[in-house]
Amino acid sequence: MSAPIVTARGISKWYGNVIGLNNFSIEIGKGVTGIVGPNGSGKSTFFKLLIGTIKANVGELKVMGQNPWGNPEQLRNIGFCPDYEYLPLDLSGQDFLRMMGGLHGLRGQILRERTAEVLRKVDMAGAAQRNMAGYSKGMKQRMKIAGSLIDNPQLLLLDEPLTGTDPMGRRELIDMVKALNREFGHDVIVSSHVLHEVERMTHDVALIYKGRAVASGSISEIRGLMSNHPHHIVLQGDGLVPLAKSLLDRPFTASVQLAYDRKLLTVEVLRPDEFFDAVPELIRETGCLLESMRSLDDDLESVFKYLAGW
Amino acid sequence: MDLSLNTICLRTMINFSTRKLLLNRRWMMVVLVSVFVALIMGYVAIQQNTDPLEGGSFLLNTLVLTFLLPIMALIYGASMIRNDIDDRSITSIVTSPMDRRVGYLGYYLALVVVLSLMLLVIGVVGWASFYLIQGVEREAIDLLLAYSLLLVIGGVVYSSLFLVMGVVLRQPIYLGLLYAFVWEALVGSLPGAIGQLTIIHNLKVIGADLIHHGSIAETSGDPVTAALVLAGVTVLLIALGALAFKEKELP
Repeated sequence: MSAPIVTARGISKWYGNVIGLNNFSIEIGKGVTGIVGPNGSGKSTFFKLLIGTIKANVGELKVMGQNPWGNPEQLRNIGFCPDYEYLPLDLSGQDFLRMMGGLHGLRGQILRERTAEVLRKVDMAGAAQRNMAGYSKGMKQRMKIAGSLIDNPQLLLLDEPLTGTDPMGRRELIDMVKALNREFGHDVIVSSHVLHEVERMTHDVALIYKGRAVASGSISEIRGLMSNHPHHIVLQGDGLVPLAKSLLDRPFTASVQLAYDRKLLTVEVLRPDEFFDAVPELIRETGCLLESMRSLDDDLESVFKYLAGW
Repeated sequence: MDLSLNTICLRTMINFSTRKLLLNRRWMMVVLVSVFVALIMGYVAIQQNTDPLEGGSFLLNTLVLTFLLPIMALIYGASMIRNDIDDRSITSIVTSPMDRRVGYLGYYLALVVVLSLMLLVIGVVGWASFYLIQGVEREAIDLLLAYSLLLVIGGVVYSSLFLVMGVVLRQPIYLGLLYAFVWEALVGSLPGAIGQLTIIHNLKVIGADLIHHGSIAETSGDPVTAALVLAGVTVLLIALGALAFKEKELP
């Protein structure tokens, strides 16, 4: 990982009796990083700590080397797009960006240029004169992102930017997030509870569950953590009974389950690598006709479930 | 602190917060209140046979200065920041690089501008409905100007009080109502030293120096001291509010 732009060590944040983050530690590097966790896992709390609207009860947090609490100057380098609606709907998109620019100390020609530039970035130039009350959810999300980009910040924090958008809008937003990093050089931290969507934006993820960072790194590294966890593999074909018997004799097999029609076999394996190595030999030995084989645990969702102990 | 940045931010805040307050549907309440004041003052003007300056001053003092000023300040002031926190529109302000104390000042100045404007509208409507019937004289115009000045001063002071309540309290309206009705209205009307510990008393002391008609002219006290007290209270409350806003967590 490149030099971290965010370093959190042992951070805890609680609201009365409710724990937002619990002894949370993480390092986030440049590029696009996904923060993944179910609702209430602490993603938004983490983002609010990063922009300094709340302060940690204990622990140390550095964003680009500085403590964000009570440090408004740093917000010139951080753009924040929250997961909730906050747009003043009585304003046009253009007026909203003028307001955001003014609140970042921009004015005159610079403000006009920046407004035009971010409208192009988020592909909203055509709708900028319209009142935001008439925007679709996807357009509002784009405008929120535009607002966070107005001061050309190094770091962009996008909290659940895909929530509530339709599939087309979702795909466009995913492409936009990737472009913000690749074409415009912003470092992006993006959160979501929809795992495969994050996977489409980045390979660097941090998994959060119940206020703790469960794992972080590239998706392949996280998958590597799974090697000691059981996998469920579904085999489909004919002649699966001898294969099931043979599998039961192997030390890596925990259990087998044959469907009534005997054309579907679900195997729980303790060591997936050994299983996959042994598959050709097993087919030869038993003479089964295998049509397909798939792992039920080969997506990020499963990684998360394993690591979080679900 | 980056002075240039904060100046631009302050200007932007005043601009957009003023617009937001003016476009808020509470303007309908202002229209209703104006009509209410106009009806009462117009009715009294038709019925009354006494000195128009005495009667007009009495009504402006009772209806607008003593009653509506703190109530309007409470309605606009206590809910201003609290509403922004509740509807989360405060996000744009607290995620900007502006010093939060400057942001608070922006709220305050916008509130003073809008509140003064609203009170002046109500005052002028009430005054016009009375004196257009009773007859406009030079002294009646002086009376309007004096009450307008008092309303603006009152707006400046009450805004500083109710705005800070909106920052530190989750339900500022209740304490605000208690303050307006019990402390300002009830205690303020009591004779003796305790009544002097209210904003309205000090406003009336200043008013007594400017207005020589109606019950307000009977208020005793040193206008310079009253002005200094109000200025001190205002500055103190603004400073407290700015500090509270700076340190406030916004989950």
